[in-house]
Formats: sequence, C-alpha cells, structure tokens
Amino acid sequence: MSNDWKNEVSKCSKCGKCHTVCPVFLETHDESAVARGRISLAEALKDKQIGYTEKLRDYVYSCKKCMRCRKVCPSDVDYEKIISALLRGVAENMGIPLLPKIIFRYILPRRILFDTLLKVSSKIQRFIPMKKRGQMRHLPLLFMGKRWIPTLAGKTALQKFRKTRKVENPRMRVGLFTGCLINYIYVDIAEAVVDVLNKMGIEVVIPQRQLCCGTPSSTMGDVKSSKRLAEENRKVFESLELDAIVSACATCTKSIKNDYMHILGPSWKNMSDKIYDISEFIDKFIGDMPGVKPIGEKVTYHDPCHLLWVRDISEEPRNILKKSSRFVDMDMADACCGGGGIFTIIHYDLTLKMLERKVDSIQRSGADTVATNCPGCVMQIADGLAGRNSNIKTTHSIQILQEALKNGETKK
Amino acid sequence: MVMFKRTTREDTKLLKVVNELLRVLGKEKVLSGIEDRLCYSYDGTKQKALPDIVIRPNTTSDVSITLKVANKYEIPICARGAGTGLSGGAVPLQGGIVFDLKGMNKILSICPEDFIATVEPGVVTKHLQDEVAKHGLFYPPDPSSAAFSTIGGNVAECAGGITGLKYGVTRDYILALEIVLPDGSIINTGRKTLRSVTGYDLTRLFIGSEGTLGIFTKITVKLIPKPEKIDTLAAFFCERDNAIDAADLVIENNIVPRTLEFMDQMSISAVRGYGGVTLDEDVKALLLIDIDGTGENIKHDLSVVESACKKKNALRVKVAETSKEREAIWAVRRSISPALYNIAPHKINEDVCVPRSRIKELLQKVDQLNDKREIYVANFGHIGDGNVHVNIMFKDEPGQEEIAEKIVHNIMVEVIKLGGTISGEHGIGNKKSQFMDLEILPKELSIMKKLKDFFDPKGIMNPGKLFPSSA
Amino acid sequence: MKQQMDKNSIDTRILEELCDAVGRENVFDDIEERVCYSFDATKERSLPDLVIKPHSTEHVSNIVSIANKNSIPICPRGAGTGLSGGSVPIRGGIVLDLKNMDRIIELNARDLTVTVEPGVVTKDLQNEAAKHKLFYPPDPGSARFSTIGGNVAECSGGATGMKYGVTRDYVLALEIVLPDGSIINTGRKTLKSVAGYDLTRFFVGSEGTLGIYTKITLKLLPMPEKLGTIVSYFDDFHDALNTSDSIQIKNRILPRSLEFMDAACLASLKEGLKAAIPEGAKSLLLIDVDGNEKNVTNTIAKIEDICRENNALKCEVAKTAEEREVLWEMIRSVPSSLFKIATMKFNDDFCVPRSKVKDILEKVYGLSRAASVKVAAFGHIGEGHINLNVMYDDGSDKEHSAHTFVSEVLKEVVSIGGTITSEHGVGDAKAEYVKLELTAQEIELMQKLKKLFDPKGIMNPGKIFV
Repeated sequence: MSNDWKNEVSKCSKCGKCHTVCPVFLETHDESAVARGRISLAEALKDKQIGYTEKLRDYVYSCKKCMRCRKVCPSDVDYEKIISALLRGVAENMGIPLLPKIIFRYILPRRILFDTLLKVSSKIQRFIPMKKRGQMRHLPLLFMGKRWIPTLAGKTALQKFRKTRKVENPRMRVGLFTGCLINYIYVDIAEAVVDVLNKMGIEVVIPQRQLCCGTPSSTMGDVKSSKRLAEENRKVFESLELDAIVSACATCTKSIKNDYMHILGPSWKNMSDKIYDISEFIDKFIGDMPGVKPIGEKVTYHDPCHLLWVRDISEEPRNILKKSSRFVDMDMADACCGGGGIFTIIHYDLTLKMLERKVDSIQRSGADTVATNCPGCVMQIADGLAGRNSNIKTTHSIQILQEALKNGETKK
Repeated sequence: MVMFKRTTREDTKLLKVVNELLRVLGKEKVLSGIEDRLCYSYDGTKQKALPDIVIRPNTTSDVSITLKVANKYEIPICARGAGTGLSGGAVPLQGGIVFDLKGMNKILSICPEDFIATVEPGVVTKHLQDEVAKHGLFYPPDPSSAAFSTIGGNVAECAGGITGLKYGVTRDYILALEIVLPDGSIINTGRKTLRSVTGYDLTRLFIGSEGTLGIFTKITVKLIPKPEKIDTLAAFFCERDNAIDAADLVIENNIVPRTLEFMDQMSISAVRGYGGVTLDEDVKALLLIDIDGTGENIKHDLSVVESACKKKNALRVKVAETSKEREAIWAVRRSISPALYNIAPHKINEDVCVPRSRIKELLQKVDQLNDKREIYVANFGHIGDGNVHVNIMFKDEPGQEEIAEKIVHNIMVEVIKLGGTISGEHGIGNKKSQFMDLEILPKELSIMKKLKDFFDPKGIMNPGKLFPSSA
Repeated sequence: MKQQMDKNSIDTRILEELCDAVGRENVFDDIEERVCYSFDATKERSLPDLVIKPHSTEHVSNIVSIANKNSIPICPRGAGTGLSGGSVPIRGGIVLDLKNMDRIIELNARDLTVTVEPGVVTKDLQNEAAKHKLFYPPDPGSARFSTIGGNVAECSGGATGMKYGVTRDYVLALEIVLPDGSIINTGRKTLKSVAGYDLTRFFVGSEGTLGIYTKITLKLLPMPEKLGTIVSYFDDFHDALNTSDSIQIKNRILPRSLEFMDAACLASLKEGLKAAIPEGAKSLLLIDVDGNEKNVTNTIAKIEDICRENNALKCEVAKTAEEREVLWEMIRSVPSSLFKIATMKFNDDFCVPRSKVKDILEKVYGLSRAASVKVAAFGHIGEGHINLNVMYDDGSDKEHSAHTFVSEVLKEVVSIGGTITSEHGVGDAKAEYVKLELTAQEIELMQKLKKLFDPKGIMNPGKIFV
C-alpha cells in the first residue's frame, strides 16, 4: 500500500466527471465533497502545502466511500487508495475522534437507528480480538453504547448455526460470511441463505470463529485493527476446504473480496476469487430454480453502493426477484440510501435527504416490499419507511427467494 | 501550483476584503480556509492556482455585491461553473476571488409553449436536457462534458459538442442573459423571445467571453421539439482517407447527421479491447454516425449513409439494432479519452477546427510533424464540422514535454495556414493564449482589448485569460 | 425632404479627394442620383449630399477614412429595401451604395461555406447555392431584391426562422471597414471558432452604425430533398393559433415555416390573386415542411389532419412548384396590397413569447377598435413574431392616433416579455421605442460602445439611438 496513493493522485486529470455520481456532491455542490476536491487536498498534503486540520478531517470524513467515482473515472484513478490513505493519515496525525456529542445530537433522537446501533454495539466486541483493550478505542461509535445497553436477547446467527445443517450428497460446500449486522440483528437473512442453498443441494458452513470484516475500523483509518481482523478471518476460512464463500452483505463482500487484496496482498487472490455475493453465487452456480413459485407481492430493488459500484452487480439480484415475485423497478434504484458508517453521523442532514429521496422512489414504484442486498441498507431504508408510517416492508432479496421456494412447496 | 507571495500591504487589503465580504454575504458564502481554496484552484486542464477567497453566491445580488467589493479593492475575479473546462478558464491565475456558481443551480422556468427555458448558470447541462425532454423538448448543444459541466460554463466558452453540424453550438441557443458587470451593475441582454434585434447584440458579445467581461447570472435558452428517434451507425475503414471521403459523401448526399464522429488509428488502438464493439487489427479509421428524426427519415438516411460508406470502401458497416448496441458503439467513442492515458501519461488536448475540405491535409501535416514518432498523436472528433481533437500524448521522460509543446505550436501554425482556428469549442483561456496572435491579427486583437478595457477598466475579470501576454 | 434639393454641402476639396480615391465615375453629386438614394422601404426620405458607388474594399476604406477625417456622415446602403429606415441618410452626408460589390467570391461546397460581397442579392446567393445542392436558409420576404449586406446589417429573419434560425446563425466571418477606414477580419471560415470575442456577431445587426461589411462568409446547409406546402383557412384566428400549437407543441413537428395572416390581410388580397380564398376566411396558415420525400408527404398529411381538427374551412396542399409559388406569392404580396386599405402604413415587427400571441392579438384588435385605426397582422407565428401594420391616410389627422396606438401596442408587447423588433431592426423608425425595452443603463452602454468604435459619430447617425 505505502505510497501507491501518491501515483493515483497524479493520475487525476481533474476532468470533473466524478461530479455526476457522487451522492454527497449532488446534495451539497461543494467541491470539497467530491473525489476531485479531496484528491487536490491529498496532493497538497503530499506537497506539504497543508497539514492535518479539523477542516481537512471533516472533508475526508464527508466521503461515503461508495466508490461510484472510481467506477466512472475516465483516468482510472484508484480513489479508494487515496481516501484510505487520507483516512489513515487523519487517524495517525489527529487520533480518532470521540464522538459522544454527535451521537447524543444525531443518534439519540432517532430511535430505530439508535436501538439498532446499541444492539450491535453490545455484541460487537466479541468479533474484535480483545486481547489488547486499548485497540477498542478505535471503534468509538460501535463501542460507545457498550456500557449502557444489555446484550441483545436471543441467538445470534453464529449461535443458531453452530452446527452445520447436513445436506445429502451436497453438490457444493460453501462458507457463509455473516458480517456483524446479519449476525446480531438480521439473523433471518442468514437463515434464508442457509435455507435456500440447502434446498439447492448446497451445504452451508458458518465458521464460528469468523470476525468483523474490518470495514468500521478502516473507515476510521485504523489500519492496524483492520489488518488484524483480516488475518484472523483468513485463518478461519483458509483452514476450511470450501468451494466458495458467500455473503449477503454488500459491504462485507467488498471488504473480504476486494479490500483484503490490499490488506493481505496477492496471497489472498485464490480465496478472493471464491467470494461471492449471494445473488451472484446463485446466478453463477444455480441458475434455474425449479420449485420457485413467485409470491404475489410487488417487490422492488434498491442497489447497494458497494454491490453495484464496486462489484457491478445489479442484474443478478433482480433476476432472483423477477423469478420469485412480481418485480417492479423503481426510478433511481441506484441512488444511495444515505446509510453508511461515520458519514451518517457527521452529515446526518444529508443522510436524511438521501433517505427521503430513496423512500420517495420506493413509494413511487408502487411496491409492497423493497428488497436489497445489504443489511446496512435494510436498516437505513426500514428506518426511512417507518418514519413515514409506510406499510412497505424492507427485506433482503434472498428472503424473497426463500418465501418463493416455500410458496412452491405449499402449492405442490 | 502558483502560490502568491504577498506584501504586507496586500495582505492587509485582502483581510479587509474578506471582512467586508463576510459582513455583506455572511460566513456561509465566504470561504477563505486553505482547504477550500485548494478545492477551487483547478479545472480540467490540471493547472492549479490558489485563489485567496472562494465566494459561493446564491443570488444575482450576491454576485453583484461581491463584484462591487472586488472592483473597489481591485481584486481579481474568476467565475467557475463545474471547473471542467479545457483551456484554463476557471483557474484563478492571479489569485483573488473564485466565484463558485454551482450553488446557483435552479431551473427557473421551462415554457414548453414558448420553446424557452430560463436557468441559473450553475445548472448542469445534462440536467437541463433531461428536464426539457420531459416536455418533449430538446436543448441540442451537447459537449462531451454535458453530464457535469454547467450551462454557465458552456456559455462562457461557447461550448460545442457532437451535435454541432446539424444543430449548431451554444451561441445559437442563447436568447437572453442577465449579466453582472465588473462594477457590480446588472444588465439584461437579448429578450426572452425566439427573435429580437433591438440594439447591439450584447448577448453574443458576452457568449464565449470566457469570464473576462462579466458574470452570467441568468440564462435564457431556446428549445426545439425533441426528435422522435435516434439511430446509430458505425463504419469501419482500413484507410483514414476513406473515412474522411465517406463523411464528405454523406453530406454531399444531402444528409446532415446529428453527429458525425471520426477516430483515427491511434485512437482505435487505444480503445481496442475496451469491449463493446470488436475492432479488428485492420480497422484504421472509424466513423460514428447518429441520425435523428422520425422513423421514416431515419430509415432513409441510414441507407444513404450506409451506401456512402460502402462506396468509400468501408470494411464493415454496423447499424445498431438495439439501444444496447447503440450504447456499445458510443462506449467506444467515450472511452477514447481515458484509454489514451494507457499510451502515455501526459496529454495536450487541442480542439482545432479547419474547413472540412482541409482535414486530410491537416492530418498529413500532423503526421509529418511527428515523423520521428517522438510522441504519440491521436486524432478524433467532430469531423462533420471540421473540428478535430488533436491529442498529443507524451511520456514522463526528460525532453518529452518540450517536444510535445513544439509540435503543438507547429500544428497551430499549420492550422492557421489551412484557414482553420486554434479553438473550435474549448476556448482560449491561458492554455491557448500564446497562439492567439497566430490567428487574430494585431488590429483585431487591439479591438478586443479595447472592448475588454471598456467593460472592465480595472482588469479584474479573469485576468491572464484569452489575451496573449503581450497584448 | 429635409434638405434643399439644389446644392450639396460637401466641400469641393473633399469631393476632389473622394474622386481621387475611388474614381470620379463612382462619385455622384447630381440631384437626380441623390434623390434615387434618399429613401428605403419605409417611404421615409432624406437627401444625401453625395452618392458613392465603391467597387472594392479599398474604395470603401478610402471613402470612410476621408469621411472620418472630415466628420461627414456615412450611410451604407444595400438594396434600400429595409423597413426601419436603416439606409435613409437622415443626416445627409454620403450614401455608400454597395450594389456594385456583388460578387460571389468563393463557394466551397465541401466546406459548406460561401464568401460574398455585401451587394449580392440574397436570392442570387440562394440560387447559386442550389446549383451545388446547397441551401442558404435565411429567407426574408425581400430575399429577391434585398442584399446579403443589408440582411447582415439588420440581422434579417424570414419565414424559415422557425426551423433554421436567422441571418446571425449563418454568418461565420466578416471583413469590416471600421469608421477610421481600417480593415479588420472577424471570425473564421470554419463551422466552429471561439478564439477571442465574438466580434462577428456583435457587428451582425448593428445597422451600419459600427462599420461597413465588405466581405461576408456564410454557412450553407445541404439542400433538403423535398419541400411540401399546405395552406389552411379558418374563420376565426383562434383556430389558426390552436392549429399552430397543436402542430408544434402537441405533435412536436418542426415545420420549415409557419406563416399567419389575419382577416384584414386576406381582405386586402382578394382581387386578382391566383389563390382561391374561400368565403368567410378570416385567417390563414401557410406551412412549409422540408426533409426527405416520404417524411414530407406524411408530415403534410398529418398537418392537414390537425388543421381539420381545428375547424379549418379549407386546406390545400401544393402539388407542384407552381402551386407552391402561387401560395407564397400571396404572402409576399401582402405588404404592398395593404396600401389598398390606406395610403400610409406604420409597420412593426414585434415578437412575443409564443404562448402570448393570442393575448397580444386580442389586445391589438381591441385597442384598434377603440382608437378607430385600421390594422392588419401577419407573421411567422410559429416563433411568436407578428408583423403589425397600422394603416392610415396621408395627411389625415389619423397619423397622430396611429402613432399613439403603436406606442400603446408596443408598451403592451414589452410588458408581456416581447421585443419591439424581431427582424427589421430599429433604424430611426423605432428608435423612440427602444427605451420601452432597454433600460437607460443598457442604452447608455450601447451608446458608449458605439462611441468606442465610432468616436466621431459618422456611421449612420440617428439610427438605433434617439
């Protein structure tokens, strides 16, 4: 990694095309909010024209890391390298900020998000190597609530699938990377993955010692923590002889498939090649699904940034939904829902604007249910819909498939 | 990066200006931190110069107030749309104030019955195109930056684009302007009617003035009914001259395509493998043609175009059957700019325009100038109106830049000899100001200078642009 | 006549200098010649002191520099067919008759450009272009006798503006003699050029007040394959306007021309005309469509349907070029046939936003009834352009009320966002109304620009500005 980003900075031709896609820029029209502006700041840092200031930190944190800009960049600048370097620089030079004030101000008034965050916070420590407690301060947001909130009742996904469900003569054996949100909150998504794959004759292993993918810490520029998490996860998954690894979380998939290539280096390539988003996996290895009977509900789909813009996956989940429901596309399906880490906290107003727009699109589509492929988006969108007292349900596309399979069975 | 060493007196003056602006505009609209100034120091030319203050106006009155202050203290002013220009227009060469007009981005009105829309300068061109399309209308000027550049910037540079042959350029669609003059006074030029000839045509004097005369705060554009349909055709040739002849023949056959784009061998080899369309090794030139209109005339025109291309020895002619195929063909054209960086990391992008009958000569001259193959040259562009984008690519090696610059200079000399112009659509800015006196004679230049001094006696508007340093 | 007819006021010394510069045979100071160059199509008259007929740029340059030195007014003149007084030498001095500079210098079919001298008659250029299957679209009603130079000076429009724009949109480059006699070249003979300020278009429409064009480079287009023409008559002008809305807005058709004529125009026409105007016709639409054959046929059929849907009394599609000619002749003869209504005419070519055409026409008819003046309106309705003719008899006290009426109409035009002139220019005929449309500051700015180019004020004095 080291100085790679410096080359990337000089590749930027300042053409401005990143303006067209950056969800933050499209709201604020601030040049400091878009890749090109941040690249010029990185350049100035490189040339020692500026130092690490609070303003700089704000501008760095205002990036959603959705990577749309990387996708459209005509000069093929690897913006991810640049933003990661900036985040790391901020962390190293300014420390990682404690954000209680922000949490009080922005999270507390927002009950669903707050509850959710705290539930996560209460549990997430288990995913982090806890040997050195000092590391924990690097995840301020998620740990903030730890002291106040009791652990979440009920079984986590990992607990639920402690034992692998056996499949007779499985055609494949795959591992499921659950990710924190699915493990702690959206356990039913994990269940749906197991259900569906089992029905297709695929055995699903959920390694018990898997940890957080590391996105929260890298978002805060905490490279060390991310690296440790990556190494732990490598050990866990490499030790098992799996045909593939799937995840139902767009961000986790991006992290373990793409980011680990930077963190762990080329030796991860073999594993990386075997990692799939769940819809991508189904599309590639299963294809036709006899026994699926479409449910009557109208379902629309929201593209998670990390799936669409990083992995270029948009057709696969739609194909699943088309087979298992009355699918309707929404306008601006690829617009960001506004969710996502530190950004949500610092720019709560913008997050809300994006969310409102997303909810508008969903409502315009006339769908009964909105499906997506990321638990983070599920959380955000559900919050937005609840805010409007809408009856529209929010779910994961794999859960729609699960229902359609069930539907097929009962009709038989 | 230009950094300004200022005297204490100048610093004091600047401090006064900042304070005065803060007082009249409020802190939301006045940015003076280094981080913000850095973000408004560049444009699409990759040049940089740090402004002292960034002003983000929301209204005409904000602009007027700022100009009054700037004029009083004689502070340079540089207007900026999206900062995507290709001639340096939005780079604050002498520091001072950058006006970030992106915040003035409202479409004020679209009147379908009048074929007129009025917008603020910060509206992104594509946004306007999309909005008027909802009313079955069409705003034709279509620079390749349309998805991110602003109307204000387009008007300031008189942007062209791929629809120029059939539909003309930005200038042809501007009916009226609200302009803030350098002294802060506000004038209205033109009229919000499809025609008006009352008095001098100040509207067109200001179009293409590159921010050196005043700042547009409202722009009224003319719209036309949206063509029913667009079809696309790609023709592949093994000889460059064949493609040029085919383009000629198309027009000779009374067809005016919506777009008539050309790509030479270097451009093709840069995009080969980018997917979309198969480009065999023997393809050395490419024409990309859009035809618009009603179903009937498209069918007719396409067949004429197809036979014209075949007559000129096209290896293959591909008519897009689906919108996906159309997209694939256009993806080839769009990927040139990024793909060129695979050839070499540095690029000088010129947008010369010659009479169409001289294109062959121009390209031969360019070949000759680079006969030692010291650098790479890729030519593509709007061949229908003679507007060729000559891209000089060079490596990060000592001496390369000097060679490239020398070749560019010699190309400009040839262009003028061929009766061409040094800029068809990007504007002069500071990137091409050194070539201005090749094209514009001293007398004409002195008239332009006189006009500049007339409107902007203190020379605060975008100094260092458009005029050669000698003028 | 504003001046005495028997003697001119140019000093003999200067006269000799002028004769030396351009040849005695091109300088005229006899009264007969001066009378012939004292007017234009506004019927306004003012005697020049001298008429000079230059043959070259050099001639023009020499004349202008002598005039400048001696502060003698210069009024350039093409065919003298303007409708705003542009070529009437209202302050005397020299009329520069450019009719002898009438060469088509170079027509380059491949480049779609043509360079001409200012005295070329527009129609001649159109015909020459047609020989190469090319098309010069601007087509003012006077195209058969007005000159390109005059068209550029006034930024003429014409019937094809709807689809093809106006003169301004076709001027690529100019050679101009400035008021000090110096010669400049503006623009470039390329289809695109943005180097420096757009002096070319700044000079287009400057009505001879900034300089004199001596060479003009124009853009040409490939000739459309076919031209289709249809005429429809309506018994209510509202139906005609609704038809135009339906064609342009609802059906998104972009006709080459969309001409309107009201009841008074039709009434003035009826006798001796080849076109058969049906009984009860109170307004007319004449529509041209161009493109390829099939396209034109279908579009004309569609337009015919639209006209009928909007209660057309009669539709007639021209089947031959002759039939088309008959229909267009009807339009072209209106300006002169209006004199049957009264001997004097005040003509204004205002333009309003398209959607306001109905309002302004109703207003005009209402005001005219109240003021008992006779009006006739026609124009390029597709663009919101209306040629309003206010008719009154010479010497009658009607002149005053006509004048008051025009002022009122123009005030209304401006108040709804319109312009006082859309293609004829301001000249001196409309100079007093400019202040309705432009602010004092904007007028002052233009006057200062005028002064910048013409400090002595010799170029067509008395025009545009009061």
